[in-house]
Formats: sequence, structure tokens, C-alpha cells
Amino acid sequence: MSERMYPGLQADERTVFAPYSAFEIPADLRELHGRYDVEATALRVRNFRYAEEWIMMMMGGWIATIPELPVKTGLGKVIWETAQAADEFGKRLPELRCGRKALDASEASNTAFSDFIQAVAEPESPPLTIEKLTGVFDVLIPHLVEIYELHNRETDAICDAPTIEILEDIIRRKHNHIQWGQDVLDALCETDELKQRRRDRADHIRSLLTASGGVTGVLETGQGSIN
Amino acid sequence: MKRFIPHEELARDSRFVRQDPAQATVLSTLPDDVDTVVNVFQQFAPMIEAGVQGTSAQPLFEELGPGFMLTIINEPLDADGPAALPRLLLRMHGIFVGELQALEGAARSIWDFPDAPWEFKMNMARQCWDEARHIQIFEKLLIHLGGHVGMFPESTFLFEAACSDDPAMRVAGVNRGLEGLACDVFRDMIRYAEKTNDDVMKQAVDYVLADEITHVRFGSEWVREFTKGDPEHLKRTQDFRREVDKRFSFGGARSDREDAAIPIAREDRIEAGFTEDELDELAQISGEGPSKDTLTAAAEILRDRYKAESAARENGAAS
Ligand SMILES: [Fe+2]
Ligand SMILES: [Fe+2]
Repeated sequence: MSERMYPGLQADERTVFAPYSAFEIPADLRELHGRYDVEATALRVRNFRYAEEWIMMMMGGWIATIPELPVKTGLGKVIWETAQAADEFGKRLPELRCGRKALDASEASNTAFSDFIQAVAEPESPPLTIEKLTGVFDVLIPHLVEIYELHNRETDAICDAPTIEILEDIIRRKHNHIQWGQDVLDALCETDELKQRRRDRADHIRSLLTASGGVTGVLETGQGSIN
Repeated sequence: MKRFIPHEELARDSRFVRQDPAQATVLSTLPDDVDTVVNVFQQFAPMIEAGVQGTSAQPLFEELGPGFMLTIINEPLDADGPAALPRLLLRMHGIFVGELQALEGAARSIWDFPDAPWEFKMNMARQCWDEARHIQIFEKLLIHLGGHVGMFPESTFLFEAACSDDPAMRVAGVNRGLEGLACDVFRDMIRYAEKTNDDVMKQAVDYVLADEITHVRFGSEWVREFTKGDPEHLKRTQDFRREVDKRFSFGGARSDREDAAIPIAREDRIEAGFTEDELDELAQISGEGPSKDTLTAAAEILRDRYKAESAARENGAAS
């Protein structure tokens, strides 16, 4: 009997191919386990999208009101990459049973978080570049990175892999944004007085973030995982 | 943070000075009559003189008098002509601040229209990145040609003309009016770079032009979308764009006229979604200003009067 390429109907009609494990390729050690079901992940993705969309919008408002030229141009790039992040989250929503029209669905975790976002967006006049950038680059974006990384650790690594892939790309860019924003702030805050302004602003914004429970609204006040 | 800001509130560092926006308005409303042009500029002379003090435009004013912009704007750039370098730098600087205002306009469109469709915000966000790169590119080109940021006063008439609180009009003004003008100017700069064998400028501006065509296309598509099923709104939007196009034609300097300093880039504009009818109309609107002969005659009179007045002042001071 010749060697079989395809299985037949009888027990002795098996193919010649050895099973996967015979090749000593590292075994898949992932377990089917995650903290979030489809509905919970969909809500989180809408929460994430809310934050990204608002970061993009407030930076759009700020560009004309910021006198420092390299900050204007740098924000132009951050705006585009933040819009892409919001867009990727939006595209994930129909895949999470939110309906085909859910592409632009955003949802704040609670009113305290939407109030927090308004507080981050509040500084307006040209002398307030430090306040503008501190809220976003010292507090909000680092918080998002922390929660995105947490999601990737806690969600089902196989079932929710598409969300993980999206978050991994976004996290990579967010690290660049944080680096850029903090470099700019370091350069802007030359004196002790300006450094103090940055700290005061960060403390104020961080207290509002903590009180809201963060982007997903579920972190308890005082928990170390907000920044 | 409020929605909608006036052009006076565009934030700048200490290198920048502003040009009175009245000048751009005046240029777009001049009739084809030498005496009127002379009188208007004579009237504006103190303001124009004050505006150029301490900038790189001051020598041009001292050489040509209060009508110096007439000469600068209406003559095509000529590498062998008089004052070739200052004229080139003046144009480059004008483009640089135009890019700055284009970034600010696109960015404000994201903030000013929170209820606009997501795809619109995505397009504006992409434009923000493009315009940010354009600012960086033109700052480098300015330095490449021997200039620097802030060397000339900044006119904010681009932002001003593009700042409507209606999203259809905003994109008609910014993405079709302002960006369309950018297509014309950049095509002209590429021609100039070819003539002067400036490969650095040619390649950079070629890429920028490709981006601008995409931005005009955003405008073409969103005007259609925002005015869908509302012919009256479409008409108002088109009227607004016509008004912007007239202002951006600088009394015929940008037009289809044979003697135009900046010809209309028809092919680029067609690719960006302008129709032949719209381009014919643009040619008509932009060609309506005073003729080149009128402006040349007026510029000469203004120069001669300025020189005579300066000489008289010097004599008076000496005696
Ligand atoms: Fe541009
Ligand atoms: Fe553009």
C-alpha cells in the first residue's frame, strides 16, 4: 500500500504525517482564560475610544493657541496617530457584536471621567502650554498605557487577540508620544517655578483621574495602578 | 476651551510680526484704474511703512515705496530680475506662514465641529500631520535659500478667510480656496526650481503638492457631503468659496491671465476634484482685478512720489 496523503475511512488508512508535537516546536501554553467577556471588552473598547477621540479633539483645539512652533508641529503628528488609535478601536466594535454602525461609538466610563477630560482640555490661552501638555503627557496618556497593558495581561490571549494586537500597536506609539511630550515639558520648565507649575497641574489632574476611577471607571480610589 | 477663534488669537513666538489684514482686502477690491490704485496705497502708506519696520521687507519699501507689494506680487518670480532673492524669500515666507495657518485651520476643524462625521475628523487629523510636515519642510527651504522664520510680517488673511462656523463653508474656504491656491503656488515654485536647477526645492515642493491635492480632494468630498440634499446650502457655500477665491487672487496676480505671476494649476486642480466649470469660473473671478499695466503704472507713480518725498525730507533736515 502506498503512503497516504489524506485520511481514509478505516483505522489503518491514516496519513504518514507525524503530529505537531513530534517537531518539538514550543507548545502553546496559553490558557483559555480572561477577565472580560465579549460585552465587557466591547464596553472597555468604547471607553478607550472615548479617551482617544477627546485627546485628538483637544489637541486640535490647542494647536492654534500654542506659541511654540515645534510644539505645534509635534502635536500635528500626535493628533494623526491618536485619530488612528480611535479609528482602530472603532473598527473593533462591530467585531464585538456592537452592530455594523458602531464604528464611531465612544462612551465615557462615568460622568466623573468625562468631567476629568473637560478639565484636561480646559487650558486655553497662549501662556498655558505647560498646563496643556502636562495634563495629556504626564497624566492621561501614561494612564491609558497602563490600562492598555493591563488589558493585554488580563484579557483572553486567544479569544481577544485582535484587541491585544490593536493595543500593542497603540502602546508602542503612545510610548513615543509620552517621550516627546515629556521632553518638551522638561525643556519648557526651565526654572523651579515652572517645574512647580508642572507638578501642581499634574497633581490636580491626577486627583480628578483617581476620583473618576480612570478610563474604565473601575479602579478604586487610591489604587496604585493609576499612574 | 471655546469653539471658533478669531485670527487675532493665533499664537506666535517672539519672532513673528503681523501684517494689517486690510492690505489683502484692498488688493482684492481694487478697480482697473491707475489713480484709484495710487490713492488707495498713498492713504495706506503710513500703515504699510510701520508694518515693515525692522523686517526684511523694509529695504523693499525703501526701494519701491508703499506700492512695493504691487511689484512683488504681480511680477512672476525671475531669478535674473531685480530684487530676485528678497522676492523669492518673501514668497517662501508667505508659503511658510500659510502652512502654519493651514495646520491651525485643519486642527481647529477637529475641535470646532465635534458633531461632524468621524471620517471628517480622520481626514482633518491626517491633514494636521501633513501641514505640520509642510511647516518643517518650508522652514528648511527658507533656511536653504538664506532666509529665516519671522523675517517678514505675517498676514493672517488665509486663516481669516477660511474661518467660517459652518463646516461646509470651512472646508470650502480652507480645503478648496486656500489649498487650491497652494496648488497654484506650488506648481509655480516647482517651475522656478527647475529653472534655477534647485533640486532640493523641486523635490520637496513636489511632495508637498501631492499632499495638497489630497487636501483639496477632502474639501471637494466634504462640501458635497455637508450640503447633500440642500441646494440652498450648497449655493451659499459656493458663493463663499468664490469670495475666498477672489481674495486669494490678489487682484489677478493668481489667475489664468497671460501675464499672471501665479498661473492657475488646472491639471492639479482637476485631479483634486475641481470641475472644468469651476475652473472656468475661477479664471473669470481671478482675472477681474486691475490689469498688469494699471498696477505697473501705479507702482511707478508710488515709487517716484515716495523717492521725491524722501529727498524733500532729507533736504529739509539738512537745511
Ligand atoms: Fe500644506
Ligand atoms: Fe494642505
